[in-house]
Amino acid sequence: MDFEETPSKITTKEFLAVVLAGFGNELAPLTSNNGDEPCPKALLPIVNKPMLDYPLAWLEASGIRDVLLICPAPHRASVLHYINSDSSASSFPSLRIDLQAFDESENLTVGTCQLLRHFAHRIDQDFIIVPCDFIPPPSLPLSRVLNKFRTEATYDGAIATTLFFEQPKPDKTSTPEEWRSGPASTSVVWDEKSGTLLHVDTPDEIDDDPEEMALNMSLLRRYPRSKLSANLQDAHVYVCRRTVLDVLKEKPRFDSIREEFIPWLCTPQYNSRKRSKYGHILNPLHNLPSQRLALEHCTLHTGLPSAYEPQSALSSPMDEVAPTETSSLRVGVVVHRASAGYTARANTLQTYLELNRHFLSQTTYALPIDSESRSLIDPKAQITSDSMVGHTTKVGERTNIKKSVIGKHCVIGN
Amino acid sequence: MAPAPSLPIHPPNGPVNGDASKQPPQGRSSQKSMTKAERRELQEKQRAAKAAAKAGGPVNGAPSKQAAKPTPQATAAATPKRPTKSNEAPAPTASALRTQTAARARAASVSVPTPANARGLRIFSHFGLPKPVSVAKGDIHPTILRLALQFSEFKITGANARCIATLSAFKTVIQDYATPPNNTLSRHLMTYLSPQISHLVAARPMSVTMGNAIRQLKLEISGSDIDLPEQDAKDALCQKIDNYIRDRIIIADQVIEETAGNKIKDGDVILTYARSSVVQKVLLGAHAEGRQFSVIVVDSRPMLEGKRLLSVLASAGIQCTYILLPALGAIITEVTLVLVGAHSIHSNGAVYSRAGTALVAMMAKLHSVPVVVCCETYKYSETVQLDSFTKNELAPQGDLFSSFPSVKARDSLTLENDEHLEILNPLYDLTPPNCITAVVTEVGVIPPNSIGSIPVALGRLL
Repeated sequence: MDFEETPSKITTKEFLAVVLAGFGNELAPLTSNNGDEPCPKALLPIVNKPMLDYPLAWLEASGIRDVLLICPAPHRASVLHYINSDSSASSFPSLRIDLQAFDESENLTVGTCQLLRHFAHRIDQDFIIVPCDFIPPPSLPLSRVLNKFRTEATYDGAIATTLFFEQPKPDKTSTPEEWRSGPASTSVVWDEKSGTLLHVDTPDEIDDDPEEMALNMSLLRRYPRSKLSANLQDAHVYVCRRTVLDVLKEKPRFDSIREEFIPWLCTPQYNSRKRSKYGHILNPLHNLPSQRLALEHCTLHTGLPSAYEPQSALSSPMDEVAPTETSSLRVGVVVHRASAGYTARANTLQTYLELNRHFLSQTTYALPIDSESRSLIDPKAQITSDSMVGHTTKVGERTNIKKSVIGKHCVIGN
Repeated sequence: MAPAPSLPIHPPNGPVNGDASKQPPQGRSSQKSMTKAERRELQEKQRAAKAAAKAGGPVNGAPSKQAAKPTPQATAAATPKRPTKSNEAPAPTASALRTQTAARARAASVSVPTPANARGLRIFSHFGLPKPVSVAKGDIHPTILRLALQFSEFKITGANARCIATLSAFKTVIQDYATPPNNTLSRHLMTYLSPQISHLVAARPMSVTMGNAIRQLKLEISGSDIDLPEQDAKDALCQKIDNYIRDRIIIADQVIEETAGNKIKDGDVILTYARSSVVQKVLLGAHAEGRQFSVIVVDSRPMLEGKRLLSVLASAGIQCTYILLPALGAIITEVTLVLVGAHSIHSNGAVYSRAGTALVAMMAKLHSVPVVVCCETYKYSETVQLDSFTKNELAPQGDLFSSFPSVKARDSLTLENDEHLEILNPLYDLTPPNCITAVVTEVGVIPPNSIGSIPVALGRLL
């Protein structure tokens, strides 16, 4: 007889995190091939920690266990090496990372929508899309976005939750970069009270008509107090229901999630034509939350149609078959203010350098404790407190290091 | 009178009996020479200094949380509300919660001394502020996670709604459950459900309806046949849950609807308070039968549930009037019948319901208006409740109920606790039995002093 006490693992996986690591063409020359060796954007260091560390640690802190990491085929070996290395084991010990490579080359990059469509069979629960270059602030835990999604998906029928952050104001003491401007932010229409994303300006729309922005009247009827913001940037963090992937399959022309798919996903919530076309895919009838009976008895919930519906809609519920689940198909949004903490996406050179400078200002440098590294740093070298020197770096005599990050195993000076 | 016992800041081992000199400060001999009041002041000053030092640089979340919890009025109470704080130490939070609830239960009847920087009412200081749901430790089922979020954010409110939502969530959990080897469903399922239940309780204190339903569920689980294959046993449990909802809530509501509807005559002016799902059904049912009556809906902050009832009744075509609680005195002379719902009824005949119901009932009694409480039998609790201080719940701060117009920014309108201001919003109050004329249940119309006979009446039927 087997008396071994096997612990029961009845864990139902709630979320799957999909981390997209691209080529990083905006960060050239840092990401261009070093001879034959590829330089993945995800492994570029920010204050001597690979960029990928930050979003993965963020995911782990919120309790997510399963990660699907998608990277281009040329980068597969280096990313795999990093995941299995010791440093990653210390930063995020409990993540189960599934590394998948996609055939693409630097010149012929594949759109993010196509990546999702390709790997849709590996995703069978609600998922979170996280870019490899989003550096979250310590004041914004992922569980805040997850909780908003959890409440709204069950209560309201929301389909996704997004994260936008205010563009951080440049430090007054820093010199503006002359050679390239910062990332352009898109105009966003959103409702603050309910945290709903209503309209995202797409580059296609800007190309078509650079002077005007067209808004749907039914959008304004539903949310008469929406806000138009021009200083919000998309963090490319999307928490979505599984049914969103089914809808993506219906739209084979879409290439980029951020620029095309998400703006389109905001439309079924107020556009009745799109709702009737895609509503049953986004919210299939057999997926009805069993909370309908509870909500009927709830004291803060009325099953009546909203006052903003046009008059004709009020008479039609009589003809429809009960239960008429009017799920809102909303896209939620969490807005992170710049005052609450510095955050950025390291996808352009300017933000990449700015992030490094920001982290340098957070910590003060002290000489390393272990004797090996200590012996390599010459005592006559001057290192200011707002710089950082990596492990086992040799710093020669008469060197002066100010406000810089030096990596590991370097040789400075003679 | 001896000075009130003091709760140490960490760890909370319950009230320290004895006098204030148990705290070891420097200079014991100088303490003895001071009077008791001076000693108390010194102690409070030291405690405030400690709390300030802790709030200034919290090393780990547990001590500062425990410091904040016995003193909910302190400004450090702002930290338990922020979800970022609670993410720091989920494990000590859960254990701290358990020890804290134990300490709170013991200290319930004893008033707690307040820190020097916030002078608060001692009456409700043992409740503590509701905490946001932290990252769940252990294997909490996602349905329970989402349900806890809905409770803590007051998306699902009302005794019936919460009970139905809990039972539906447990149906999902049971269906996803797999008995581990060398174990039986009837024994292991209960240990599997316990952390899920505590997670729900941590989000919001459990209602009597939820407690009764869960007790019944545990009874069914322990009674499930050991020889049944697992899927059959799970299906049988889900069927029993469905039967419970159907019999004790839905059908009970239908019986109450009929019985109470018969009490409504043409030309009646019915007064109701806040929103009860049963009373709503009664009014809609009576209107559908063609009786002519008008309704006065009395409402109060912060939840303003009466507004929702008003919209439902008005769209059904019932003549309604809407007033806030302070206007009750002006209108009570016109009322012929008062219909209220209940969160729970107790064996001494007292009715525990939304805060404000007691005022309505007492006012009605003074003007000899009959007060009828509509309540299902599963809301019956064997305890004796004499006041609404020992057991109550405080509404969380902030604008949870969207009761302000959208024009102004929320931050400017919602009040927060600070040094000279404390916000108290108890959600429930107790109506004494002498103010109630009758309680309508599905087993009959019962006068309040014989509420204790409900279990007997149930035993006859079941």
